[in-house]
Amino acid sequence: MPQMELAGSMYEVDEKGFLQETDKWNEDIAKAYAALEGVTELTEEHWEVIRYLRGYYLENGICPMVRRLTKATGLGLKRLYELFPEGPARSACKWAGVPKPTGCV
Amino acid sequence: MKRPLRLEDISRDGDGQLAEIEIGDLMPLPSGCGGLERGPGWKAVSREQKARLVCNLDGVVALGLPKARSEQEKAKQVELFISGLRKLLSRQDNWTFLQPLLLSLDYCAQCQTCSEACPVYLGSGRNDLYRPTYRAEIFRRLVNKHARPGGKLLAKLYRGDVELNWATITRLCELSYRCTLCRRCAQSCPMGVDNALLTRELRKLFSQELGWSPEELHEKGTVLQLEVGSPTGMKPRVVRDNIEFLDKEFADATGLEISTPWDQQGAEVLLIHGAGDILSWPENPAAFAILCRAAGIGWTLSSEAPGYDGANYGVFYDDVQLARIATRHAQIARRLGVKKIVMGECGHQHKAFMAVGDRLLAGDLNTPRESVMVFLESLVFSGKIRFDPSKNNFPVTLHDPCNIVRSLGIVEPQRRILRYLCPQFREMTPHGVDNYCCGGGGGLSVMSQTNFMDWRVNVAGRIKFKQVVEAFSDQPGPEVKKYVCAPCLNCKNQFRDMFEHYGARERLGIAVGGLAELIVNAMVGIRKPFIEWQE
Repeated sequence: MPQMELAGSMYEVDEKGFLQETDKWNEDIAKAYAALEGVTELTEEHWEVIRYLRGYYLENGICPMVRRLTKATGLGLKRLYELFPEGPARSACKWAGVPKPTGCV
Repeated sequence: MKRPLRLEDISRDGDGQLAEIEIGDLMPLPSGCGGLERGPGWKAVSREQKARLVCNLDGVVALGLPKARSEQEKAKQVELFISGLRKLLSRQDNWTFLQPLLLSLDYCAQCQTCSEACPVYLGSGRNDLYRPTYRAEIFRRLVNKHARPGGKLLAKLYRGDVELNWATITRLCELSYRCTLCRRCAQSCPMGVDNALLTRELRKLFSQELGWSPEELHEKGTVLQLEVGSPTGMKPRVVRDNIEFLDKEFADATGLEISTPWDQQGAEVLLIHGAGDILSWPENPAAFAILCRAAGIGWTLSSEAPGYDGANYGVFYDDVQLARIATRHAQIARRLGVKKIVMGECGHQHKAFMAVGDRLLAGDLNTPRESVMVFLESLVFSGKIRFDPSKNNFPVTLHDPCNIVRSLGIVEPQRRILRYLCPQFREMTPHGVDNYCCGGGGGLSVMSQTNFMDWRVNVAGRIKFKQVVEAFSDQPGPEVKKYVCAPCLNCKNQFRDMFEHYGARERLGIAVGGLAELIVNAMVGIRKPFIEWQE
């Protein structure tokens, strides 16, 4: 299993850099991921998305469909891509420390 | 520059890379791809990954096998491979596929007709490594030498020896995931050899004997499906919750009443979607709910795991997992006592449950199964739904999912729908049973480890992308919205990844979606256009 340094500690990640143990997540990890994608400051909009993703994942065991995310946060897809450069699955889920979706998605 | 590749090379220089794939060698894309004729290329596997993972084929890593820890471990793996070869040739262990396997092993004339039919070989700019016969002939020689009487002697006397070592098996394993199992080679072969079947037998050997399979197909595919119900990870409660959410969303948007029925005992139709549609393409299941209601069909979804996800990745790599999932699907239909099962817009579900399933499911497990194409045609022409085809007055082309069209011969129902409902429908060249694969077949579209997605959008899907661009060459500009109708979940996902890679939406105005959405878009009485062209 690959390891990755985030905010000064080593964590287990998958080949795409997604955190493997979601309970080890903290806000500094989100900031570290964001910095790697060139986003140096996380705004309240970022945190709202991240909190929603984590909450939904912890309750349901998977990430929410994008339609739920846009409805819950009131942010359109375009805005989500502005906030998270690689989009909701590849950036937002990663920064939130939850696994990327699996299967035919 | 490509160098000629010989069969024996597969065993040589175990850690070295067998073949080079350069972006400049790939099949050229047509001009008018918005300046992307060569495409942005792909990421190299990092130095750190190379130190950890087997990367000795073409610089691309689909499996991410860990490097062997010792020579003993390597020898053990080679032994397992040989025992796997013998099992493939045994009736007891391989009754399902033994006969076609033997036919494909015994009768290849090395004429290379298959290579000229293969989208991967052509897309790569004719790289020897991707010839269907390269993989198949090495496999054939290994079978003859190690699993047939007198093979070792014959190998020396007769057709050239391929050394069997750890490099050979790791490269063959990775190479078995450079084929989309589209079976265009089999269709073109004058002897009837099925190289896709040989590829899958190889994958099966590696999975069942050595436990070597892509994580996306196994741990996060069939294993997850058998555990919780779906490779997406959706449990029954989550899938019901999501469909309820979508029913409300689409009822608000269309002004129609939408209410998806669950677990209806004795229903006329049990519809089994690919569950990825619910998450990634929610318009598709919503469109089915609208159409079934409008046509007055007594239908139901199942909330019993895995009856709400028609995926069966076993069909890509492993007979045991394939049979487990197909049986669970069949048992659910039997318990519900439905008259028939309709398979959603998902190609490999058709192959697993209609073609292979016919050999597995006996007696009362054999509930009649119908393709979505036939089902949708019967709804459209039932006379119960009113359409206004002018609502679909934009350029539309149709992709033929290999498992539905080439393998099952279901060609015309979807075309009769499009000719009726889409005034600007045009075919790709070639199409129907002669189609090219999207590049995501054989499980490839769900795989994206390390740099594998770059390979499948650049090489495997290249010829399909070219076909799409050419089908719309009369109106290439992004100001004209164009629709690729791809009635298969895996194909749609591959198109989405490919279109994103090439910037097809921004540069060329091309979008992808399913068939049911186009039908609903043409219905009279929906509040606003059903198809939303993403900005």
